Amino acid sequence: MAEVVLRNVKKIYQSRQKKKKEDVLAVKNLNLTIQDGEFLALLGPSGCGKTTTLRMIVGLESITEGEILIDGKVVNSWNPAQRNVAMAFETYALYTHLTVRENLGLCLKAKNVQPQEIEKQVNHIAEILKITDILNVRPSHLSGGQQQRVSLGRALIRRPSVTMLDEPLSHLDAALRLETRIEIKRIHQRVKGTFIYVTHDQLEALALADRVAVMNFAELQQVGTRKELFEQPANVFVADFVGEPPINLYYQSTLEEQDGELYAVTPQGAYRFQLVPQKRRLLENHQKEKVTLGIRPQHIGLEQKPGYVPLSGKGALFEFLGEYGYLTVHNQGLDLSLLTPADIESHSEQIDIFYDPHKVLLFDSESGENLALNRTKNI
Amino acid sequence: MQLSSNLQRFHNRTTYYCWVGVFFLLIGGFIALLYIATLQIDYLWAWYRIPQYFVYQENIEIRAEIEGEVETITMNGDQAVVVVVGSDGQETYTVPSEDIRVDEGDMIYAGDVLATYKEWRPGILLQGLGTTLKASVYAIVFGIVLGLIGGIARISPNPALKWSAITYIEIVRGSPLLVQLLIWYFVIGTMVNTILANYKLGQISAMGYGIAALSFFVGAYVTEIVRAGIQSIHRGQIEASRSLGMSYAQSMRYVILPQAMRRILPPLAGQFISLIKDSSLLGVIAVRELTKATREVVTTSLQAFELYFVCAILYLVLTFTLSMLTQYLERRLAS
Repeated sequence: MAEVVLRNVKKIYQSRQKKKKEDVLAVKNLNLTIQDGEFLALLGPSGCGKTTTLRMIVGLESITEGEILIDGKVVNSWNPAQRNVAMAFETYALYTHLTVRENLGLCLKAKNVQPQEIEKQVNHIAEILKITDILNVRPSHLSGGQQQRVSLGRALIRRPSVTMLDEPLSHLDAALRLETRIEIKRIHQRVKGTFIYVTHDQLEALALADRVAVMNFAELQQVGTRKELFEQPANVFVADFVGEPPINLYYQSTLEEQDGELYAVTPQGAYRFQLVPQKRRLLENHQKEKVTLGIRPQHIGLEQKPGYVPLSGKGALFEFLGEYGYLTVHNQGLDLSLLTPADIESHSEQIDIFYDPHKVLLFDSESGENLALNRTKNI
Repeated sequence: MQLSSNLQRFHNRTTYYCWVGVFFLLIGGFIALLYIATLQIDYLWAWYRIPQYFVYQENIEIRAEIEGEVETITMNGDQAVVVVVGSDGQETYTVPSEDIRVDEGDMIYAGDVLATYKEWRPGILLQGLGTTLKASVYAIVFGIVLGLIGGIARISPNPALKWSAITYIEIVRGSPLLVQLLIWYFVIGTMVNTILANYKLGQISAMGYGIAALSFFVGAYVTEIVRAGIQSIHRGQIEASRSLGMSYAQSMRYVILPQAMRRILPPLAGQFISLIKDSSLLGVIAVRELTKATREVVTTSLQAFELYFVCAILYLVLTFTLSMLTQYLERRLAS
């Protein structure tokens, strides 16, 4: 096990064309600490720099600026073999000319480990991953799930201080993805290593990781637990990217005061969200200025719970999502989505809905930063 | 419906065998034309004379080394022991009993034939074939070694290695093999053998320089084949091995080259087939390989048609065997 620290890590891909100097910034000033034994997920859309970050930690990619420390040692100039890390690839990258047994044992063979010891370790890891029955099979005859497990086993057999998984479930079907997700979590608990997991699927990240680091456009947006990301997103991107169903976001909203109460009002006054008194201090900076308002469908409902405030809208669309329903209401051209019990009837008339004013999020309309977090930082 | 499909199948089979017949007719026609052409020039085919150039029976004579008298001849199965006693002492000869040319009591002189026997010897064509095989096998082995080193150097980020490999490839592929052979033998050979003579060391034969020329020639082509083979392996394979703690050399040895070998086997086989045929140029530096041996026999026997056909067939046997071996290896590697 090991702690991994990234200090001001930057990666620029130089343009190959000498005339056109179009350098690509892949990772921008990344500062991140992954605790010893932690399971951290790097979450973000395609092309945000998460795989590049992983490759820099492994040593497959050079660093333009900054430092990477593993176990307190700067490893910038170390080759992958010296770093004692291992990586399981999105494409699995199994050695097609070797059997599963040989795939698992090859890195030990390269280190001149005794054949009996290799056999022992291969059998041990195969038992953990439940692949003992396919040890003599070639990768071309394996299913996606089996290949994924072999890829993971090949990484774990070295007992690396850091294990990295690059979108390992992206090629699996839904049922297998769920099964393998549970398997990965179980393995982490069993081997107790430091795991870094790259994914663009928030469900995977939130289900598996102790903490999630959200990236976008080469920058780290926020690092936190699933609760922190869900309830206090650092900016509009995190709020929108994390959470299923997606958050209700209203750009160009305004803050208004009426009868001693503070409200966030969506464009054309379609919805007026009452804010809790703690958010009054935001009024000083943002009265009559535009803000981005956000509220998650999970924090709106059809029944009045304690502390919930009423709101009205016209029922527009109901989707059945299995355990719950997803209702979209309409008012003056603006939609508002909320979660409902699965068995409700579809509404088309004017209905009352209720929301939790504590959960209303406000973001700066220009920078997209969460005003509450921003405010806290400045105080 | 059933009837129609059977008719169709019969029609297809009939058509197939018709075309097989056409093929054999073409072959037969070509042979007939050749025969008619030779009649026009009064050429006498003498195939019966060809076997002697492969193997022949040589008459071997056992001669006395001293002057004296044959004292005893003792038969021992198919061997006989001949004892010759002279003024200088006595000599004992073990000879085949089938053709003894002396009797007990005969007076003989040094150099007289005591007995003869026949022994099978390889003919000039078989010797030439052996030389061709030897040169080709050595050149293939050294060519593979050079090609592997060159191929890895060719994709190396180290400019010294990369540019050396590129220079080697361009020079070798940009000039004819015949010219390279002449340079190796008359230029490099002269210099090296002179230096060796100055240091009182053994000389390198024409065959040695021929093998060197062929090796360097084929090595350049193998270099490009190896490079293409390595680069055809998905980048993820080397990254996986590197990220799992292997050095670059180990990644190459255990992961990349074994996979690349499968892919480079067909072009490699093609290259080696070309090499066997190219070895016919060794004759210009006085190496008696198959083609030169054939030319020598033609000069003495004047049986040009038969001998050149035989020469071509022998090359075909070599290349076809190599082709079959390659296919077998491909199947083995694929399974």
